[in-house]
Amino acid sequence: MTRRSRSAATLATLLVAGAAAFWLLTRPAPLPASVVPSHELDLRNGETLFHAGSCLACHRPPDDAPGDHGLPSGGRPFPTPIGVFYPQNLTPDPETGLGRWNEIDFVNAMRLGISPSGTHYFPAFPYASYRSMTMADLLDLRAYLRSLPAVRSGPRAARVPLLTLARRGVGLWKRIAFRQPAFSPAPGHPLSWTRGAYLVNAPGHCGECHTPKDVLMVADQSRFMAGGPHPGGEGKVPSLRGLLARKRYKSADDLVLALQNGETLGYEHLSSGGMAAIQENLARLPEGDVQAIAAYLLSLE
Amino acid sequence: MRLSKQAVASFAVTGMVLGASLAVLADAFQDRHMAMEEIGDAMKALGAIAKKEAPFDAAVVKKSATTIADNLKTASGLFPAGSGGGDSRAKPEIWTDAAGFEKTLKDAQAAAAALQSVADEAAFRPALGTLGGSCKACHDKYRLPPKP
Repeated sequence: MTRRSRSAATLATLLVAGAAAFWLLTRPAPLPASVVPSHELDLRNGETLFHAGSCLACHRPPDDAPGDHGLPSGGRPFPTPIGVFYPQNLTPDPETGLGRWNEIDFVNAMRLGISPSGTHYFPAFPYASYRSMTMADLLDLRAYLRSLPAVRSGPRAARVPLLTLARRGVGLWKRIAFRQPAFSPAPGHPLSWTRGAYLVNAPGHCGECHTPKDVLMVADQSRFMAGGPHPGGEGKVPSLRGLLARKRYKSADDLVLALQNGETLGYEHLSSGGMAAIQENLARLPEGDVQAIAAYLLSLE
Repeated sequence: MRLSKQAVASFAVTGMVLGASLAVLADAFQDRHMAMEEIGDAMKALGAIAKKEAPFDAAVVKKSATTIADNLKTASGLFPAGSGGGDSRAKPEIWTDAAGFEKTLKDAQAAAAALQSVADEAAFRPALGTLGGSCKACHDKYRLPPKP
């Protein structure tokens, strides 16, 4: 072989090896159906989780779509720096919704960000938070979604450059992001605080916006809930630390009223940057859960 | 280079017009900021009653609601095209969806007017809720998140 053909062969080998490594490192590894325990379903709990997660805020239909805008039939454009996503229809429609998803499909989506067809979801779907939800809660949430009326929606593929390759590449991101342990509340706190910590960090996924991300788009835990640039591109997301010390709220009761009423009681900070829709969902939680969220948030210093 | 008198004059006029319109835009931002601050202060007084931190007082309600109604009336003229950007949290949708913006502002004006004539506490809470809801509807759609 000439020197030139030898170096071409080396390059080809490296490329093949690189592609093989990429393929192996990014391979989705869904959980088997055997991990789903037998569980007595609680629809009320599922509904609470649906509101705690503000699922509707992103999975709403587009403004100009016909039908019930209180149902999570999806399709409303969700712009991100890498492209536009169209969140999934969460109603039980068999063609365009979750009608054909079984329990393990739902668990894999929420825990690992893997679709029923075995591809990675982009983390615009905040499974990095949802993976901290308990199995019982996931099953109750799925049961609640299945109890909603089925709505047929127009399926729309995400508009992201090099979609298939980028989707596969999410596997690399997961290898880094999932190195952070799933959230579990620190021990030694009152029951209400523990409940609030869970609601805020697991279903509530508040940190997806309120905790800034590092260069690899992984939550920077050293700046936990410290606020940061707004994911929409303009303005900032406020810090949730030191809310009492910074005189943002007078007391836990004050924060509860704010979360329940938002600007209808003059709490004007809760209606910009997408927070109004989230506040409206939080207002549907049982009062004890709102109090738990307030107790936890006010403990962040 | 020598410029004709007309050229100098037209430059001067252009400059003055440009300067004046920039001043108008900057004033619009300042003026609506002041209006919003006054509305915010009035809402605090109303919120205190709703949260039972202060007793219901029809006179306070009327005074606060009038402050809000008056400021909302002037607000219509405080969003000239081109007065967004910079420190302003006005979203471009105010001008691209001018009809929608005008409607939410009208809703707020109507809600403030209704609150002015509230006589008792039972009518006060829902009326304040409607007004606050109209503030929320507009802020949600037409206001950017806080600036860094």
